[in-house]
Amino acid sequence: MVDLNLLMSTTIYGSVLALLALGITIIYMTTKVFNFAHPRLSLVGAYLAATAMAVYVQHAGIKPNFEGSQVLGGQLIVPYPASVYIIGFLVAMVGGVLAAMFEYYVILKPLLKRGADFLKLMIATLAYDFLLMAVLLLYNTHVWIKKTLKDGLNLIATKMDFSAYDFALITQGQTYISGGFILAVAVTVVLALSLYILLFRTTLGIKMRASVENPPLAEVLGVNVERIYAISWIISGLTAGIAGFLMLLEPSSGSLKPISATSPADEIVVSAFAGSIVGGVNSIFGSIFGGFFIGYVETYVTNWLALLLGMKELFKYSRVVSMFIVGLTLMFAPQGVIALLREKKVVDRILGFVKGRRGEK
Amino acid sequence: MARAIMKLENINAGYEKLQTLFDVTLEVPEGEITVIVGPNGAGKSTLLKTMFGLTKVYTGRIVFDNKDITKLPPHERAKLGMAFIFQLENVFANLSVRENLRLAGHDLPPDVLEERIREVFETFPRLKERVDQKAGTMSGGERQMLAMAIGMIRKPKIFLIDEPTAGLAPKLAKGVLENVKRLNEQGYTIVLVEQNVKAGLEIGDKGVLVVNGRIAFDGPASELLARKDLARLYLGVGGR
Repeated sequence: MVDLNLLMSTTIYGSVLALLALGITIIYMTTKVFNFAHPRLSLVGAYLAATAMAVYVQHAGIKPNFEGSQVLGGQLIVPYPASVYIIGFLVAMVGGVLAAMFEYYVILKPLLKRGADFLKLMIATLAYDFLLMAVLLLYNTHVWIKKTLKDGLNLIATKMDFSAYDFALITQGQTYISGGFILAVAVTVVLALSLYILLFRTTLGIKMRASVENPPLAEVLGVNVERIYAISWIISGLTAGIAGFLMLLEPSSGSLKPISATSPADEIVVSAFAGSIVGGVNSIFGSIFGGFFIGYVETYVTNWLALLLGMKELFKYSRVVSMFIVGLTLMFAPQGVIALLREKKVVDRILGFVKGRRGEK
Repeated sequence: MARAIMKLENINAGYEKLQTLFDVTLEVPEGEITVIVGPNGAGKSTLLKTMFGLTKVYTGRIVFDNKDITKLPPHERAKLGMAFIFQLENVFANLSVRENLRLAGHDLPPDVLEERIREVFETFPRLKERVDQKAGTMSGGERQMLAMAIGMIRKPKIFLIDEPTAGLAPKLAKGVLENVKRLNEQGYTIVLVEQNVKAGLEIGDKGVLVVNGRIAFDGPASELLARKDLARLYLGVGGR
């Protein structure tokens, strides 16, 4: 039988990875920077959103309705009004964009102007990642915990708990449909469609694709390529912020919690890059596919192995699965799975195989 | 003599710390074809790129249409009415013919853009047949056609064309130079860098010889074509 809770939490996790992989891919395609700080940008969004939501809940006089809360499928569901989520969503987006713009304008653009190569830029993103990690840990330890302890919000007192905000949409006995699950799928689909329309149906999209393919030619045709790069960083920050917001909704009953108070985003970075590499670092829609693929395979393969071997602690090592898939991808399809499918002979081979099977029957 | 639409005054330029042009002074007459020739590595393409802001100018001044453009970035020069056609990769291979043309006229009003696209299809009917085809799947000659069409969309005041016949079969190369001549007959000013010295200078009004980053000759194309000494020394043509 399908474990609905696991499916829902994995889908949210897959959406987070898809959005992160998408942001990594957009930046790699436009500025040829492998942004190691990208998953951390999502945490900036997540921390700011969680703070804004908590402050709003407190100051607007909204008390988490513990009496109206339910334990469904082993998950404590505390209902909040929709305005709390809207505020969180908006703040997360702004946080992600600001963190991305800071990285581009203050760190990378000056280096690019001095002719920094791929390696220097990559190291610079790593340095920014460490900087953000330190700031977030300081914030988490010295501001968030002290403040929440003082205010008596014990639910989120010991750490920034990224599962506190899930909500039930439909309940049937002990079974419920997670609001976070619906929201994650909806947001990812809407974002992917919007991006498709932007890239393939608008002049800005043509400019972006042109600037990616041949920046000097785009420039001589009057396209301000630097502005296009800045727009790419804004989109990347936006997707990171939204991914951060979705992290707040992932039910803790899921097998994988991407964040811990002591090492936020250190682990998810592996899976996010795996999503980007599996989908193809030059394919926007490939990265979305890659994110979901890694999310599901990582969770279900670990789950299956844990059951098979009777070792629950195996979940701690779930990222090994991602690394294994990255290894296979780099060995057999270095351009990513989507690029492999685009090759006509591969499609022909698959079609031939299917036709052959049908013929046998 | 025609008015100079572009003037380069004592230009020293290059790529970051590598200087390749030395004290270049040059005028480009309006409505004419100026052909830049010279041995390999002499700085012909660098000179053309410098006109469009694609290199670093250390000292000197560039004036286009009575405006100092020395410090303007390339995308601003494009808006002033300059078009540049690269030697290679001069179209967007992953975009369709229509998308390439739409990009070229991205800041024109939609109705004007459609009208311009119709006009270039009249000049290059072959492109109309391939309007939804990706540029990367077209032949070399067709790509050069598209590259010129891209330049024409904005109706620029000047075309800077970098070795358009490089790598093309002689028959196709002849067709490309005929297209350049046709563009000029439509009133466009053209600066052409050409490896095929004889064919290039034959369609040109003014000839410029660049040697080691300096101007070695600046005068009528027919005169440069007739200078056997220069041709033999620097261009590998002109008999023994």
